[in-house]
Amino acid sequence: MATYPQRFRFGNFVGSIIWLILWIVIIVSLVGLPLIFIILFYLPLPPVNGEVLTPYLFLSMMVDPTRTLPILHFIIHTDLFKVAVFPGFSFAALLAAVTIFVERKFLAKMQLRIGPLYCGKIEGILQLLADGLKLIAKEIIIPSGADKPIFWAAPIAFVATAAAVVALIPVAPGWVAADVNVGIIAVFAILGFFPLIALLFSWASNSKYPFIGGLRALHQMIAFEIPFFLSALSVVILSGSLNLTDIAKAQHPYWYIFFLPISAFVFFISSLAELERIPFDLPEAESEIVAGWLTETSGMIFGLIQLGSYVKVYALSALFVVLFLGGWAGPQIFPKELAHGPTAGLMGLLTLQGLYNGVTVNAIFWFTVKTLGIIMLMLLPRGISPRIRIDILLHTGWYKLIVLTFINMFIALALIYGGILGPGGLLTAH
Amino acid sequence: MSQDPKNKPVDSTTPSEPPPPSPPAKAAAPPAKKETEAPAFEKGLVSQIISRFGDDKIKVAYIRPLRMKVNVDPLDMVEVATFIRDNLGFDHAESVTGTDYPKDNQIEVIYQLGSYSKDDIAAHILSLTTRTSRDDARLPTLINVYKSAEYHERETFEMLGVYFEGHPRNERFLLPEDWADLPPLRKEFRIRGR
Amino acid sequence: MEKNLEHQIDESEKLGMQIVKESEDDRLMTLSVGPQHPGSGHFRFTIKVDGDYVVHCDPDPGYVHRGEEKMCEYRNFIQNIPHLERPVIHDSANITYSYSLAVEELVGIQVPRRGQFIRAIASELDRQIYTLYWLAIYGIFLGHSTMFMWPTGDRELFIDLMDALSGARVTHAFNIPGGVRNDIPDGFKDKCLRHISYFEKRLKEYEDIFYTNPLFIQRTEGVGILTKEDAIGLGVTGSVLRASGVPYDIRKAEPYDVYNEIDFKVQYMKSGDSLARAYVPLLDMKESCHIMRQLLDKMPESGEVRAKLQPTPKGPPGEAYRRVESGRGALGYYIVSDGSPKPYRVKISVGSFRNMIALPHLLVGSKLADMPSVYWSLNYWPVEADR
Repeated sequence: MATYPQRFRFGNFVGSIIWLILWIVIIVSLVGLPLIFIILFYLPLPPVNGEVLTPYLFLSMMVDPTRTLPILHFIIHTDLFKVAVFPGFSFAALLAAVTIFVERKFLAKMQLRIGPLYCGKIEGILQLLADGLKLIAKEIIIPSGADKPIFWAAPIAFVATAAAVVALIPVAPGWVAADVNVGIIAVFAILGFFPLIALLFSWASNSKYPFIGGLRALHQMIAFEIPFFLSALSVVILSGSLNLTDIAKAQHPYWYIFFLPISAFVFFISSLAELERIPFDLPEAESEIVAGWLTETSGMIFGLIQLGSYVKVYALSALFVVLFLGGWAGPQIFPKELAHGPTAGLMGLLTLQGLYNGVTVNAIFWFTVKTLGIIMLMLLPRGISPRIRIDILLHTGWYKLIVLTFINMFIALALIYGGILGPGGLLTAH
Repeated sequence: MSQDPKNKPVDSTTPSEPPPPSPPAKAAAPPAKKETEAPAFEKGLVSQIISRFGDDKIKVAYIRPLRMKVNVDPLDMVEVATFIRDNLGFDHAESVTGTDYPKDNQIEVIYQLGSYSKDDIAAHILSLTTRTSRDDARLPTLINVYKSAEYHERETFEMLGVYFEGHPRNERFLLPEDWADLPPLRKEFRIRGR
Repeated sequence: MEKNLEHQIDESEKLGMQIVKESEDDRLMTLSVGPQHPGSGHFRFTIKVDGDYVVHCDPDPGYVHRGEEKMCEYRNFIQNIPHLERPVIHDSANITYSYSLAVEELVGIQVPRRGQFIRAIASELDRQIYTLYWLAIYGIFLGHSTMFMWPTGDRELFIDLMDALSGARVTHAFNIPGGVRNDIPDGFKDKCLRHISYFEKRLKEYEDIFYTNPLFIQRTEGVGILTKEDAIGLGVTGSVLRASGVPYDIRKAEPYDVYNEIDFKVQYMKSGDSLARAYVPLLDMKESCHIMRQLLDKMPESGEVRAKLQPTPKGPPGEAYRRVESGRGALGYYIVSDGSPKPYRVKISVGSFRNMIALPHLLVGSKLADMPSVYWSLNYWPVEADR
C-alpha cells in the first residue's frame, strides 16, 4: 500500500462496476452453467414423480419447489455429504468454533473478566472470524535448517487425523460417515498417530525448545493411550461389539456410566491428556519451554493446529458420549412426524415434508447436548488447575490409571458373568 | 593518613565522652532506653576487634548508634573478616561496594556486614572498609569468608576496576559484554552530555 | 569385540574419516533461558541440562542496567527521587523511602509525625501491589491462568488507592526527603478500610484455589530446599529468608519511622522449600492488612506532612546507611555526601541482587521442570537487580 489513492471520479467508479458485472456474466454463462449441466448429467438422480430427472427438470424447481425435496434427500444421504457436512468435518468444525468461543467467555467469567467483547454486536461473537482472518494474513516463518516437507505436512496431517476420528463417530442411528465393524479399534489406531505427528513436527523445527516439547508430547501421549484403550475395553466387554453404533444402541435402558463409573473417569482423564489440555499441557508449557512443540508455528500453520486441536476435543467428547452416555439416547421431545401440514409449494419445502425424520432429529439434538456438556466439563480444569509436572504425569499414567482400569475390567466381567448385563441378562432390553 | 569524610569523629581513647547529639538518628531511633547506651554497646564490639588485632591495624572511622565503621589494610582483610564472622557473629555481607576518591588517589571498598543469627546485633551493621590505590587496584577476595559477597565483588570489579584476587570470575556482570570504556563508577567517567 | 571396533576405527581413520566418540559433554544440552522467554522476565540465565536434570546454572543479569548509581551523582537530593523509583515501578514507595531516610540522616531533617504515618501507609500499599503482581506471575509460571487474573484484578484496588493518594498509579514519586508530597484526600480512610476488608476475603479465596490445590503442592513441596544455614550464609533476604526459618524483618529488627508503635508479628515458615517461599508472601499480605488498619487508626488528625526544606538541601560531609523492608527484602542505601547538594556516592543494596546467589545454588541438581517454581519463588525482580 505504498501509493496514494487516486481522486474519486464517478465515471471510473461506474466503469469498474460494469467491468465487474461483465466478468460475472462471462464466468457464469461460459463456465458455471455448463458445469452445472455436466454434473447433473453425470450424477445419478432419482426419479421425481415417476419421471426421470433431467437437468432441465431440475432447473424447473423454481416453479415448484417441492420437486427439490427428493434431490435434497438424495444429496443428504450421499457419502460426500456425510463426510464433508453433516456428521463429518463441517459439523465438527462448527462445534469446534463454538467451543473456542465458549471457552474464552467461560474462562473469562471465571477469572473476573469479560473475554471477547468488541468484535461483533453481541458480546464479541465474531471474534473467531477476526482471529481466523488475522492468522491467514500472517507470514509463515520457517526456521533455517528446518525440514520443509514435514514442516508443511504435519499440521495438515494433524487436522486430517482429527477429522478421521470424527468420521468414525455415529451421531444418530444410520448417520456415521464411516460405518466400520471394528469402530473402536479404528479410533484408537488413528489416535495413535498423534504422538508421531508431534514428534515429527518438533524434530523438523530444528530448535531446542520444540525438541524438548516434542519429547514431552511423545511421553505424555504414549503414557495415556494404554489407560485410554483399557477403559474403552470394559465397554466393549459389556456391549459385546466393537461397532460404535451397536455400542450406542446397546445402552438402551441404562447408560454405561452407571455401571462403569471408574472407567468413565479414567477415560475422561486420559482424553484430557491426549488433548494436551490443562492440567496436562506440558508439551506446550509456556513458561518453561516457550511454546513446546508449537514454538515455530506461525500464521496459518498455527491456525490449522488449533483447529485440529479443537476438532479433536469434539471427537473425544463425542466418543465419550457414545461409549458411556448412551450416544443419542434421550426422551423423544420432537414430534415423530409433521402431520397435517401443507404439502405443496413453498410451504412444503419449508416444513421439509419428506425430509423430516423425528427420530433422527431427536437423536441429533440429544447427542449435541451431551457432547457440549462433556466439552464444558473438559474446559473447566483450565480455570482451576496449574500445570502438572512430567514425572507426576508419567507416574499417574503408568501406575494409577492402569490399575484403575483393571479394577474396572473385573467389574465389567463380573456384571457379565453374574447375568446382569450382556445377552440374556437381567437389565438388557431387547 | 587520609581519612574519608567523617560525620562525628569518636576518639577511642576517651570512651566516657558522650557522642554528639544526632537528631536525624532520632527519626529512626530504637527504644529510648537503648539510646544512651548504644554507643557503648557498639564500642564494645569494636573494642573486641581492636583488642585482638591491635590499634595500629584497626582504624575506627566512626561509632554511631547501630552503625560502626572500621578501616583495615588490604593484607589483613581476610583475617579480620574471619574474626568478625566467628567471634562477633556477623554472618553475612549485605553489600559490597566501592567509592572512588580521586583526591586521595584511592578507592575505598566497603563491606556492610550484618547478622541474622544473633538477636542483639540484628539491627547493627558493621562496615569493614579498606583502601587501595587507584592505579593498581587489587584486593583479596572475601568470598571464602562471606559467600554472599560473590556477585557484589564481581559488580565492584566491573564498575570500579578493582581486581579481587582469588575470586573465580572477575568478569562483566551487569555491563554489556562489549563494554570497552572506563569502569563507569570512576569519577573520570562522565555521563555524556553532563 | 573391542579389538574389532578398534580395527574398524583405524581403518576408517586411514580413509580420512573421523570417528566422533561420545564424550560427557555430548550429553549436556545448553539452554538459554533468556530475556526472550515467557518464563524469565528481563533476565537471562544459562543452564546445562543432562536429560531432565540441571547440572550448571549461570545467571546473566544486566539487560535493564541503566546506571542508577552513577546518575544519582549528577542530581541533587530531591531530583534523585523520580529516577530512583524506576527500578521497581510498582513498589516505588519503598525504594524511595529508604533513600529519604538516609538523606534525612545526612542532612539532619526531622519528619513531622503525620508525614511519617502517611509514608508508612504508602509503603504498605505498595508492598501489597508488588506482592500481588509477584503472585500473579507465579501463577502463570505454573500454568494457572486464573491465579494470574485474580491477583492482577485485586491489585487494581490498591493501585486505585495509591492513585487517590498520590496522583499516579505507579512510580508516583510520593516520598521525598522530609516527608511526603501532599496530604491524604478526604474519604481516603474509609475507602482504604473497605478495600482492606474486601481483600482479606479474597486472600481466603486465593488459598482455596491455589495454595491448597494438590497439583500446586505437588509441584512445590520439597522443591528447591534452602536450609537455614545456607540461607544465612548466602545472605538472602526478605521472604526467601523468612521461608527458611529465620524470622528477620527490618520493620521489627530495626524499626524506622513509626513502626515501633505498630503491633505485628513477623511471619515465617521453617521448611525452606518453594511452597514455603510461596506461602510467606501471602502471610505477609495478611499481616500488612493488620498494619494498615493500625496505621490508619493511629494517624494524627492533622499536621504537617513535610518538613520545610531549602530548595537544594545539603548537609555536612558524612555518610549514612539506612534500610527498609520492601517487597523483596531489605533495601539499603549507602550514601556518601561531601557537603554539596549532590551526593558523592549512592549505593543501592537491593533484595533481588542478594537473592540471585541462591539461584545457581538451588537449581543445580534439580529438574528442569522445577525451574519456574524455584526461580520465581526467589522473589527476584530483574529490573531492580540491575538498577
